[in-house]
Amino acid sequence: MSETKHILLRWKDVKADFRKLAEYRKHEGFEGLKKALAAKPEEVIDVVKNSGLRGRGGAGFPTGVKWSFIPKQEPIKYFVVNADESETGTFKDRLIMETNPYQLLEGLLIGAYAIGAHTAYIYLRGEFWDIAAQLDACIEEMRKEGLVGKNILGSGYDCEIYTHLGAGAYICGEETALLNSLEGKLGQPRVRPPFPANKGGGLYGEPTVVNNVETIANVPWIMTHGADAYKAIGTEQSAGTKLYCVSGHVKKPGVYELPFSATFRELLVDICGGPSVEGRSFKALLPSGGSGPIVPLNDKVLDTRMSYEDTAKIGTIIGSASLIVMDDSVDITWVASKVTKFFKHESCGKCTPCREGTYWLDKVIDRIMAGEGSERDITLIENVAKNMAGITLCALGEFAANPIIHTIKQFPDDFKQHVKKDGKAAKPVALPAAGD
Amino acid sequence: MAETKLVTITIDGKAYQVPAGSNLVDAAKWHADNDIPVFCYHPKMAPVGMCRMCVVELGMVEKDRATGEVIMENGQPKVRWMPKLQTACTQVATDGMVVRTDTDKVKAGRESVIEFLLTSHPLDCPICDKGGECPLQNLTMAHGNGVSRMNFADKLKLDKHVPLGDLIYLDEERCIQCARCIRFQDEIVGDDVLAFHERGRRLQIITKSDPGFDTYFSGNTTDICPVGALTTADFRFGARPWELTDVPSICPHDAAGTNISLSTRLDRDFGGRAMIKRVMPRQNEAVNEIWISDRTRFVHHFTRSDDRLQSPMVRRGERLSPTVWNEAIPALAEVLKAANGDVAVLAGGGASNEDLWELRQLLKGLGSERLGAWTTHSGAELLLEVGVGKGSNLGTLGKGDAILVVASDLEEEVPMWYLRVKQAQDRGAFLAVANHRPTRLAEIASQTERKVASQTERKPLVGKSVLYEAGKAAHWLNDLANSDPELYNTLKDAQNLVIIAGAEGLDWDGGRALMQAAANLLIAGGHVGKPNNGLMATLPEANGMGLQYLGYTTQNALDIIKNPPSVLITAQCDPLGDDPTAGSWMSKVNTLITLTLFPDDTTQRAAFALPVQSFAERDGTFINGERRVQRFYTAQGPMGDALPLWEIIARLRERLGQGRAKVSAAAVMLELSNHLPSFNGIRYKDLAQVERQYPDVGGKDLYYGGTAYQNKGGLGVQLPTTADNGSAPTTGTVNLPEVKQAKKGELLLIPTVRLYNRSHIMRPSALIANRVAKPFAALNNADAKKLGIKHGDRVEVRFNGGQATVTAQVSDSTPQGVVFVPRYLADTPTPMVITSASVVKVSDAVAVQ
Ligand SMILES: Cc1cc2nc3c(=O)[nH]c(=O)nc-3n(C[C@H](O)[C@H](O)[C@H](O)COP(=O)(O)O)c2cc1C
Ligand code: SF4
Ligand code: SF4
Ligand code: FES
Repeated sequence: MSETKHILLRWKDVKADFRKLAEYRKHEGFEGLKKALAAKPEEVIDVVKNSGLRGRGGAGFPTGVKWSFIPKQEPIKYFVVNADESETGTFKDRLIMETNPYQLLEGLLIGAYAIGAHTAYIYLRGEFWDIAAQLDACIEEMRKEGLVGKNILGSGYDCEIYTHLGAGAYICGEETALLNSLEGKLGQPRVRPPFPANKGGGLYGEPTVVNNVETIANVPWIMTHGADAYKAIGTEQSAGTKLYCVSGHVKKPGVYELPFSATFRELLVDICGGPSVEGRSFKALLPSGGSGPIVPLNDKVLDTRMSYEDTAKIGTIIGSASLIVMDDSVDITWVASKVTKFFKHESCGKCTPCREGTYWLDKVIDRIMAGEGSERDITLIENVAKNMAGITLCALGEFAANPIIHTIKQFPDDFKQHVKKDGKAAKPVALPAAGD
Repeated sequence: MAETKLVTITIDGKAYQVPAGSNLVDAAKWHADNDIPVFCYHPKMAPVGMCRMCVVELGMVEKDRATGEVIMENGQPKVRWMPKLQTACTQVATDGMVVRTDTDKVKAGRESVIEFLLTSHPLDCPICDKGGECPLQNLTMAHGNGVSRMNFADKLKLDKHVPLGDLIYLDEERCIQCARCIRFQDEIVGDDVLAFHERGRRLQIITKSDPGFDTYFSGNTTDICPVGALTTADFRFGARPWELTDVPSICPHDAAGTNISLSTRLDRDFGGRAMIKRVMPRQNEAVNEIWISDRTRFVHHFTRSDDRLQSPMVRRGERLSPTVWNEAIPALAEVLKAANGDVAVLAGGGASNEDLWELRQLLKGLGSERLGAWTTHSGAELLLEVGVGKGSNLGTLGKGDAILVVASDLEEEVPMWYLRVKQAQDRGAFLAVANHRPTRLAEIASQTERKVASQTERKPLVGKSVLYEAGKAAHWLNDLANSDPELYNTLKDAQNLVIIAGAEGLDWDGGRALMQAAANLLIAGGHVGKPNNGLMATLPEANGMGLQYLGYTTQNALDIIKNPPSVLITAQCDPLGDDPTAGSWMSKVNTLITLTLFPDDTTQRAAFALPVQSFAERDGTFINGERRVQRFYTAQGPMGDALPLWEIIARLRERLGQGRAKVSAAAVMLELSNHLPSFNGIRYKDLAQVERQYPDVGGKDLYYGGTAYQNKGGLGVQLPTTADNGSAPTTGTVNLPEVKQAKKGELLLIPTVRLYNRSHIMRPSALIANRVAKPFAALNNADAKKLGIKHGDRVEVRFNGGQATVTAQVSDSTPQGVVFVPRYLADTPTPMVITSASVVKVSDAVAVQ
């Protein structure tokens, strides 16, 4: 088992209550910000670049590189934290915000300083209203100590932070839909280019960085301990630690912080205790919630490191690291059906293939699950899903195609058992409730 | 709009030079004749990438980073292809762009998008208004695979008759969520009353408008809707597109000269004669682009209203009785002969150039030159000198240019100009709006930015709105250099300057003074005799400009009022209905001959009432406010015995021995243009010329622009001003009239214009008649208080020559000392020029609307 070291849940190591500003400050709190404010913004970006930090929102884009896209000459820029946390099986950002809020706020200020933004927003999913209230209280605490607002820590740098609640849409986690929602518009993704970092593409048309909560919460540690120290953790292409959200058929589900170099086996067997029901074995894993490709949870997968590059080798992604574990009692068709319903419910409807495709897929899968489908229906949904992938406006359309394409690829028999063969009706299966 | 750096792009293996930054769909169509299929993209609006129909394979020619040289591979430039299909509508042409539209991958992409769209589509083409001219239908024929893999029973069932308002209906099943309608209202009109509701497959068009969707341009959404989801209450289920014959015509309502097509068919409801089923826009980029106002679209029923005057009438004692032309014409000839030259004409802006020419020749033959223009909008003679230069196009004004709109409520008077002026400001032109009361355009002028929901960027706007003292438009403009040098210089020093002058609150003298002040400013800044510079005026009806060109002036009209002739001919105007004081001078006329569409107030007093044909029943030409001579064609069967006005006069002239009557409007135009040098000898065939316009809408690929914009009738010919012809105009003295004062205890009554009113022309169009405001008078709070009047009270407005009972509208947007009374709202005539009036409360508010 690799050495556990907490960056995001640092309070675990020092055994302190980081919800209190004084406690947080006692343990390195705001040291990173001080260092940053003493440096030039470009230097801060370089440190983050060199650390190898990659975005934790799912795509794994190098954070320092993203910051460096912001044009310096533009007078108005914004920094936005994505706290929409809507991916199925993801519950890590809330833990950071609940237990270590100041580390997020500190990281946010460092990022805002680095790109020259004087206004920052934290966009939270609507259900996080209580967390938003706590963050608001934290911001007021910081104000008392000159850590936010005008002339932060006497540096001459000004930055204001606002929280903003969404209204309950998965799509508003997609960064351009998030910006629309933040502007008070309908939560639908925007056409790119221009990208959020470009003039014309960001919040109110101004260059904007959008980063995930977890991404940003890494930044203070990087500033304090340096890029090399951070890079030393994890794998070659996946630096640092990651919060893994484990749910499903394991004994001890929960959120665990591990370096990227840890394997699925270390997490799911050693830490989470293996299959939750005696006598059953692992069958399948969704490593990145409903949106990523499903894989059979076999030895090969278990011995794979949970990094960006290693998961790619087994045909899936680590994404937001929402590990949904399924044992051999699970019919994967049922999973595909459930996930399809989720995407049908969450499709924003802006582009044709996703709007129509999710609706259509759901209808056909319902038919299959009711025992009224035929083998041709399996070919049909696979083809429909493939027609959706690669032609939609945003990635949600691709996500929605994944459960079909990969279930058929990895678990072909699960589907086949539901369809009529030789004129004989198959066994109907109870459908997941619509819309959940 | 200068910058036209060309770049090289390759489409399906062939290289094209296209302007840098042009939209790929537009560029492919214009330069490569390659129609990339689209649903959501529209060349007049920002791309949104929603429908995904326009997918292409996209690559870039690879260049060596160090040298910038193109990297070659097997003798061909090396192309770096993007792995996924890309939407062409969201791409702009850049140097080295390589596009493939003819590969299997592209074909498969298009096919799948069509299939996805059809999964939700009701496929009720056989009963759909769009069937036959439907982009979805056409693109399905071209790219669909012919078989449905979707179970019909799985289709969504939605509401098929959702009124978005009284005018526009939505069929939720047919909507393909392209947002063209939303974006039109948002980007083009600047009134974002349409929106999406919900998400996913539940995404649905709704309106936020209260009352329902009824902006002055709402009908255009039905043209650009790529399916039959939006239909007008006027046309829905009225006819099938393939039964319709499109006849080119010109909107008869205002100075814009909007190009339209009258879609007609031989109709049972009209005795088997050709009948207008709908009015559609006809593309003329220099005039109306592809838009028309709802008045243009929905006000056509008057042309076949039973209320029209349908036979010649002659007075026998107290009563007018019907007669036939063969009796009327000789009788008229006798009357005219007996007048011994003491005869005059008052003509309205609805008469065509041909009509006006025949009348002019008639009078000439009788020895009279008294040709009066029946309008209060004076100073039109200046338009012949410093009117907007030949080649002007409001659609090309933008950054660095300026527009001043003064003494006009442009949205109510000439909605098309309103739309185009607003868009010029969107493109960066400076917009100044000056009036004595707030208007919609003033609100727009004072906005500093426009947020467009479908676009990210907020457009910074430049403009200013000015309020001057009631009726003092000319005073304000004449003194602008002193009172507001900054604004004066902004206008004067603009790259291009267009001034649009109205006549609100001005009498004949005030109107002329304003026009002269505007001319002076234009001349001072060198804004004459060149395109996109000069003066325009909101002359009422379609041919106010033609009146001026044919010698009909307001000076003559005033002279006619002062010294009424023995015989007066009114041509498509109703002095007694327009002016409560007309009765006093009209009583001095011995014989009144009226040429009219409707039996109106003037008809009641006439000795002869002669039915003329409407613009829809005959050929003719109008000259719009930008001096464009435009031709309209016979579209609808005639009503009763009505004849073209010119023909009535031609027959009369023949009877009077003035030569053989001409047989066609074209022949009249020929004579007219041979005699009047300002017409440059133009012929009907010159007016019928068309050339390819950008964007290239109206072809068979209906999906690109919308339904049926083809211009087959001609783009018209713009007459040059004297400044265009090289004579340098000089500034003139502005004779500032004394502004009318209210009598003691009274208020200054200022007539205003409403787009929808109770004129004879509007009444037969039920859809519009329902939208006409209840008659009202607008008062200031302080004045109302003094007079004991509350908002909503019934009041009587008393003025010289009559009174009107209306509802009081009390607010601070009306200046003190003034009462605004819109024309043609009350049942009785209200003043047509500024005058003194008293306002007296009649009763309390009953139910406040
Ligand atoms: C449909 C969809 C949903 C998403 N939801 C989230 C989310 O809930 N939280 C998040 O941080 N990123 C989400 N993302 C990713 C964001 O678009 C964006 O990539 C991310 O916030 C960037 O931050 P990072 O670079 O720090 O990862 C989503 C993306 C898509 C396409
Ligand atoms: S892919 Fe789906 S979620 Fe994304 S824009 Fe299209 S409809 Fe909306
Ligand atoms: S109503 Fe027509 S224009 Fe509007 S979104 Fe639907 S299909 Fe498009
Ligand atoms: S996405 Fe390009 S036309 Fe609709």
